[in-house]
Amino acid sequence: MPGILSELRVLELTHRPSGAFCAKLLADQAADTIKVEPPGWGDQARHEPPFIDEVPHPDRGTSYLAFNTNKRGITLDVEQAEGRELFERLAATADIILESYPPGRLAELGLGYEQLSQSNPGLILVSITYFGQDGPYASYQGDDLVAQAMGGYLYAVTGSASQPPMGTALEQMEITAARNGAVAVMAALLRREQSGKGTHIDVSTMEAAVSTPSGLIHPYTYTGRNPHRGGSDGNVMDGMHLPTLDGEVTLTTAGTGGRPMQAWAEFLEEPGLLDSKFASRGGRMEHWEELHGLVAPKLAQWTNLDLMRETMARGLVVGLVQTPQQVVESPHLEERGFFVEMDHASAGLLKYPGSGFFIDGENAMASARPAPRLGEHNVEILCGELGLTVRDLGLLRAARVI
Amino acid sequence: MAEKGILDGVRVLTLEQVHALPWGTGFLADLGADVIRVESPDHLQDRKSGPFPAGTPGEEWWNEAGNLVYYGTRNKRSLCMDVTNPRGKEVFLKLVEKADIVTDNFRPGTMQRFGFDHDSLSAINPRIITLSGTAYGYTGPWRRAGSRARTVDAACGLSYLTGYEGGPSMRASPNYMDHSVGNNVAYALLLALYQRNKTGKGMRVDLTMLETGVSSVGPAILEAQRGITRDRLGCAHWWKAPHNVYPARGDDRWIVIVVSSDTEWESLKGAMGRPQWAEGAKFGTVLARWHNRHELDELIGNWTSQHDDLELAGRLQELGIAAGSAMTAQDLVDDSHLRERGYMWEFSNPQAPAVGSRLFAGRPFRDPGNPMSIAKVAGLGQDNAAILADLAGLSPAEIGELESEGVVFGAPRPDEPRP
Repeated sequence: MPGILSELRVLELTHRPSGAFCAKLLADQAADTIKVEPPGWGDQARHEPPFIDEVPHPDRGTSYLAFNTNKRGITLDVEQAEGRELFERLAATADIILESYPPGRLAELGLGYEQLSQSNPGLILVSITYFGQDGPYASYQGDDLVAQAMGGYLYAVTGSASQPPMGTALEQMEITAARNGAVAVMAALLRREQSGKGTHIDVSTMEAAVSTPSGLIHPYTYTGRNPHRGGSDGNVMDGMHLPTLDGEVTLTTAGTGGRPMQAWAEFLEEPGLLDSKFASRGGRMEHWEELHGLVAPKLAQWTNLDLMRETMARGLVVGLVQTPQQVVESPHLEERGFFVEMDHASAGLLKYPGSGFFIDGENAMASARPAPRLGEHNVEILCGELGLTVRDLGLLRAARVI
Repeated sequence: MAEKGILDGVRVLTLEQVHALPWGTGFLADLGADVIRVESPDHLQDRKSGPFPAGTPGEEWWNEAGNLVYYGTRNKRSLCMDVTNPRGKEVFLKLVEKADIVTDNFRPGTMQRFGFDHDSLSAINPRIITLSGTAYGYTGPWRRAGSRARTVDAACGLSYLTGYEGGPSMRASPNYMDHSVGNNVAYALLLALYQRNKTGKGMRVDLTMLETGVSSVGPAILEAQRGITRDRLGCAHWWKAPHNVYPARGDDRWIVIVVSSDTEWESLKGAMGRPQWAEGAKFGTVLARWHNRHELDELIGNWTSQHDDLELAGRLQELGIAAGSAMTAQDLVDDSHLRERGYMWEFSNPQAPAVGSRLFAGRPFRDPGNPMSIAKVAGLGQDNAAILADLAGLSPAEIGELESEGVVFGAPRPDEPRP
């Protein structure tokens, strides 16, 4: 079937992973997504390590490659009159525009929601920034770590109680803001089907961090206590990482019918776990070192994949602490057809993750294209659609407009 | 359900527990869909999980918890019914005729055992969209395994890459993956509705926690294929320095400071009063700062520890430096920015008078076209009668029978252990 969003056009004019990943979520469902980058340098993510094959190259930043699949790419300097005019013409053809300028900047350029929606009333403009479009912090600078901090996540979630706060890797607040943005876009599209009207959506990465559900706010408003990091400290059965023969695993007390220590004593063949001092969660935390001394040597006899298979057979729930390498080589994901192989002109053949869901058994990424090279589709879009001649392109290039 | 939301007229039946799926269907409820949470009288863990006001479960504890009850039933309706009972099953299948979406988070096989698999439901209602949110999906060798958010955090690669600099791997969060998966559930369901508007046909969505997790760590997946390893860096950064969390004045107070350029470094030096140590070659360039970052972090920490984090972060931001306090929940509740933006939602649940008025986290996006708010938090079985009468077409006598025969419940069984 043609992709779900195949009749839609998205323009992406963003600067951080939140915007790029949000546009990717739409692009992966077949929206015609055009990434608009500043001439010359392009998206900053092109220049951030690590790079495929290590040597810096604007097409080989891994974050750039991962978050820009299925897009076409053009260069355009919207700060210049000529570039602005071309952007306006493209915007007239767009259903959705994502942007991450400082609040108010696009309106200054004549490209704000009020201006663009006049000629395109169905336009859905998504502003995706660290602190949102208004409020005292609207003009603040941010990055993923700042969002973790100001969203309360850094203090309360990752890390150890006895140590300073510690962040979650891989810019997850950017990812979460992007996923929220994609939900907001779909809701706006469904509304537009009924009313014909577009809208201006304001997504805040700081608020995305606060919104992690079991996180922060209500434990405080219910009990007056601030949630604090360190939930995995000394938590042998429900949080610590424990070594196996070829990796690490984290256990749970789930799937044990409310008798976790009996189930695990039987599975690990370690009767010491039946000691009454381990019967309650509190007891296990209090005597965690002793418990660790019983559990760890037993787990160390298992390989990860054997442990997964045998615990699964008994209904126990564990998590293998997989390296990214093990994820890539996962027999389970292989059988599901989760990864999609794409050959990028500069980065070569790589497997990319799918979207996390299959609809009627189909992987929406199956006919994917890799991230565009800088300005790869300038001719296709600026000449093919907007009617510029190739000679015009040369003039615009010399003037650094494209 | 919210008043006349964008999804007015869309009905969701959801067999859901714990976090991920209720979080996902919660978006639809906030957007105005009629989300009917079908709750089992035999699995009340969510309603037992707290937190309870002042830490103590009250008389009607099943309606009082703040976490899974608030987020899991907000703007939904609750039907507490045993669908494994033949009469419960019959009612459920009647509701399917009037539903648009059926979702579950059982392990693969359970819905089929109930007779609620996609093909069976689709035979009743060809427009039905089903979504099963599972750990590992309906196919593949791990399909029968269960999960928790933290085991997915581990299995997708995120835990392995998270940790203090030079330290062991550590889970990123006990529940972050529930949140990611819930967001993906909402996205998939809205896509499915959008698609059905075009085709008129239902569809089956097989959504997994593991795959959502892996899709969130794409860069590391690409790197692994070319032998690039990521070191654990705590709050440090691949190329920026300073980029870390620093101690502030007071007990367990912290501030994040991020410097991305020489210009910002000059501004930071100005804020610090241009100390002697900051001048000169050791910290003069991007490269020098990154290579000498451990010493740099210690020196900056000596300075920040004399300052109030909230005040200092505001001052640094005025100089154009990305900085922020490591906010506690209390800081967030008191925060002027969030207040001005109306981020927090206040609610007093008439179903749980013992709870009174409380503040909750709201949604991280605003759309004037799709306003969202809390209209209700569903009590256990609060909507039994309305649903059974209006949607299943049962008479008051028939509803009374279902109650007396132990098929539907307005409260836990008398012998249900208290939390």
